[in-house]
Amino acid sequence: MSFTIECPVCGKRNAYEFRYGEVDQGPRPSEEGLTPEQWCGYVYRRPNAGGVQKEWWCHRDGCGVWFTIRRNTLTNLQVHEPEA
Amino acid sequence: MFGKFKRLWKEPSWKSSYDVAIIGGGLHGLATAYFLARDHGIRNIAILEKRFIGFGGSGRNTAIVRANQRTAENLPLYQEGLKLWPVLTRELDFNLMFHQCGNLNLAHSEAAMNALRMQIASAQMLGVDIHLIDAHELKDLCPAVDISERPRYPIFGAMYHPPGGIIRHDALVWGLAKAASASGTDIFQETEATGIRVEHGKVTGLETSRGTIHAPRILLAAGGYSARLAWEMLRIPLPISVLTIQAMVTQPLKPVLSHVVSSGAYHVYANQTLKGEIATGAHMDPWPNFTTRTTAHYIKHQAEALSEILPCLRGVKFMRHWAGLADMTPDMAPIMEGNDPVEGLYMDCGWGYFGFKSAPVTGKYMARYIAEQRRPEILKAFALNRFCENRLLGETANPPGYGPWN
Repeated sequence: MSFTIECPVCGKRNAYEFRYGEVDQGPRPSEEGLTPEQWCGYVYRRPNAGGVQKEWWCHRDGCGVWFTIRRNTLTNLQVHEPEA
Repeated sequence: MFGKFKRLWKEPSWKSSYDVAIIGGGLHGLATAYFLARDHGIRNIAILEKRFIGFGGSGRNTAIVRANQRTAENLPLYQEGLKLWPVLTRELDFNLMFHQCGNLNLAHSEAAMNALRMQIASAQMLGVDIHLIDAHELKDLCPAVDISERPRYPIFGAMYHPPGGIIRHDALVWGLAKAASASGTDIFQETEATGIRVEHGKVTGLETSRGTIHAPRILLAAGGYSARLAWEMLRIPLPISVLTIQAMVTQPLKPVLSHVVSSGAYHVYANQTLKGEIATGAHMDPWPNFTTRTTAHYIKHQAEALSEILPCLRGVKFMRHWAGLADMTPDMAPIMEGNDPVEGLYMDCGWGYFGFKSAPVTGKYMARYIAEQRRPEILKAFALNRFCENRLLGETANPPGYGPWN
């Protein structure tokens, strides 16, 4: 479903102008004592919950800025409340 | 002519205990139940389906079957799957309408031709009937394709895979449900799995909207919803992104398209169904979501792409447009795992858009996995721990593959 995303620079634009940059996984884990399982968890594994999640987007066909939004994966709409 | 309709599968009665409980009444779940009974004598099986059987990916795919993947791990599975269709038609006593029309994957540059050469060589090594043809041979096979210099991406040639084709997907759902039900499987529709009971690291039962059942082995085969269920019921994060994939059909036409034609560059595939409609798809919205909504953006893309390679379709109207969920893994290969991280829990997911063509053969081997509680050799490459061990499969480099970014 098509929807709009609010770019911090350009304002509300069609979602097809943006590139999805994965759900926010927090800061990159420190390499000291990092196990393959932890690294795999950071790189590949996702919660895949149905509901609101914090995610990264890039305004690919616009200003090129990277930013985070919250979006509900059940309705595909950007929301302004915190994730569940 | 119109006799009394007979139900294809029995109305099941609720039991408190089953040998195997399967979450998801799609093709993978139904096929696993069928092969558990056929090959291993396990008949006390429950299938739990939230909506109705075949509602998800099983009824939303474009029904194309083929064995022209790229990697040595994937190919044997699809190759055996392709040989299963005529066998199943006979065994299920159900006309699956297997139309073996052949697949054509178009190449639009010399580089693409070279990529196809490599892919063809690896498939031929494993005995797949596949070869490269040039643009003129393509025109002879499929006159509707425009091989002139006019399209934005002119056609250089194609990968021709004669044994591929199309199957009636609903027939496969109904045929498998009929056969599974006849061998003792209880198919519960409108019954949602809500939780998996785990004691001391072992599966003990399944909570559903109708009540709890005891089951020592549970198969999670809920297609696009598997990754979400794994997280919501057991807090297992899987390396999966669930994306929406869209498809559509045109109004019915006289026979015009003799093969399944696909193009990675135009990001489109099309085939003419036995009803005469041109079924076409390929687009994925590259952000995870669980809606099955369609977009106007995509109708426009599809009309543009189709009228470039098949100009005879200009002016033809689209009739229906729908979407389904594709659970994509980073290496475009499935996850088939058992007893990790919970004993008795089996997962058959991450199929992306390969779930339809692989359903019967996967059912056969998942049934063996569950019955013998040991991973069959052919499934070794698809273990979940390949992501930790950095042994991802190379299917993303498949030239006719449709990743979310092309």
